Amino acid sequence: MALDDDKPRVRPVLFATALVVATLSAFPIWFMVTSAFKAEPEIMAIPIHWWPHDFQWFARFREAAAFAPLWHYFFNSSVFSVTHVVVTVFFGALAGFGFAKYRFPGRTLLFYFVICTLMIPFQVLVVPLFIEVKGFGWENSYAGLITPGLMNAFGVFMMRQYASDLPDELLEAGRIDGASEFFIFVRIVLPLLAPALTSLAIIIFIWSWGAFLWPLVIVQDRELNVLSVGLTNYSQPYQQAPMWGAAMAAATIATIPIACLFAFFQRYFIKGLTAAAVKG
Amino acid sequence: MRGLTRLHRRWWGLVFVLPVVAFFATFSVFPVLFGIWISLTDYNLLDEPLWVGLANYRNLLDDQLFLTAFKNTLVFVLGATLPVWVLSLLAALLFDQAFRGREILKTLFFLPVLPPVVVVAVVWRMLLHPNGVMTWIAGGHRGVTEISWLASTTLAPIAMIVVHDWAVVPFFMVIWLAGFAGVPKHLREAARMDGASSWQVFWHVDLPQLRSTAVLVAALTSINAFQTFTLQYAMSPDPGGPANSTLVLGLLVLKYGFQYFRMGDAAAVSVVMFAMILAVTAIQLGFNRRGT
Repeated sequence: MALDDDKPRVRPVLFATALVVATLSAFPIWFMVTSAFKAEPEIMAIPIHWWPHDFQWFARFREAAAFAPLWHYFFNSSVFSVTHVVVTVFFGALAGFGFAKYRFPGRTLLFYFVICTLMIPFQVLVVPLFIEVKGFGWENSYAGLITPGLMNAFGVFMMRQYASDLPDELLEAGRIDGASEFFIFVRIVLPLLAPALTSLAIIIFIWSWGAFLWPLVIVQDRELNVLSVGLTNYSQPYQQAPMWGAAMAAATIATIPIACLFAFFQRYFIKGLTAAAVKG
Repeated sequence: MRGLTRLHRRWWGLVFVLPVVAFFATFSVFPVLFGIWISLTDYNLLDEPLWVGLANYRNLLDDQLFLTAFKNTLVFVLGATLPVWVLSLLAALLFDQAFRGREILKTLFFLPVLPPVVVVAVVWRMLLHPNGVMTWIAGGHRGVTEISWLASTTLAPIAMIVVHDWAVVPFFMVIWLAGFAGVPKHLREAARMDGASSWQVFWHVDLPQLRSTAVLVAALTSINAFQTFTLQYAMSPDPGGPANSTLVLGLLVLKYGFQYFRMGDAAAVSVVMFAMILAVTAIQLGFNRRGT
């Protein structure tokens, strides 16, 4: 274990080991992205082409969009994930603040009630939830697709921890100025929670963007499908020849939003992932 | 007056938590209870549910499909826990060292965490094409040009595990690194002063401090693995195949529920899954309690 005050220096053995490990790990991603720009025969070429010999620009992407409503999928995934992020973050923060800073009767009980739902795997919910949502008449609709994921107990749990750390004096100051409790939440609490809200927003986006099981069962219309489900169209077994180029183009499209979040918000990204793991 | 506003104010807390509580009552707690009830009935979505008591659970005991899925899930869990635990720890030890170029290599190593599982499945399905990239890497030098990775009942379950592990190891490395960061610096320095080697510092200083991280990684890897199904659904040319060799419990819920419309059986399988996951959680909590 290196002492933390060690200055990074050249350590050839470590570097070489890390290089091999990192290359093995990153190779499939590299191959996915480069294949999205290859001509179809090049993808399966042996020995492999590390880089497209005949660079195709956006031909594979157009092919993917012509074969299935790729942009529709992308739009649906965006609506699905952004709605989840906005609603989860707002109501998660509101409830977290409520649990952290108010002593109302039943507080502990209700908090455990919310936290218990964290332990429920989605597979347990899928059958009864499907029947319930179908009963609402929301099968095959945006309402049915989006509603069951609108809130997340992890968000409440995380926000309660951050809200507990806020100094009471700030809230009191607001009250002396005659602000309502809701105004205090919006104008004082939300801005102070901004860094935590960013991490939460990122983690919720990742979860929603990758959600597969629920969209798979609740929506049948191609036009309503999200990207993760739509992707499987490109490699279906009944296809005579799987369109690997189009599949890689669509897979790249499906990865871009998360890659962007990682590139631009790396610190919050890692923080969100770690917080989500340690929740238990 | 002051007392009155206090009382008044407390209730705002209830108002703030109510939307979330109502939501979870409707979309989490009710469905779980409803699901348990469905598991005690025969229900095909068209006719009225028929109460059958514990019959669905009894039938599972000699349901070949369920037993296969149960066994496959356990094999998958085994392959997705211990190797991930060890490999992610090794990766964390490597990337915790200070050396030039570390950050960029760590970022490259982390990349598999970014794509959604379905993307992972589709990409690997291409890489594992019988005449594809992985065949070339594994057998090219020996003149082997075709390996049926996903059409072999032996190789397919292994492929699921390897691909899963590839995708999650970097994530758990991050968890380990967060654990390392929590080890008080002065403890390490004191051990160093006393002439401890790097290995001794790790074994005697870091590892005891990392107990909760170790339990967390073990618990999370197994809980995730019990719920697996996306890879088995999307990576295999025939979901759960070949010959049900990658049929896992998560996929069986989908099959019974949404392919055969046997909602009672699907719910029963999901309740069994839930029980297994709760058991893992209980063991994790037990370990943590004993540690403190």
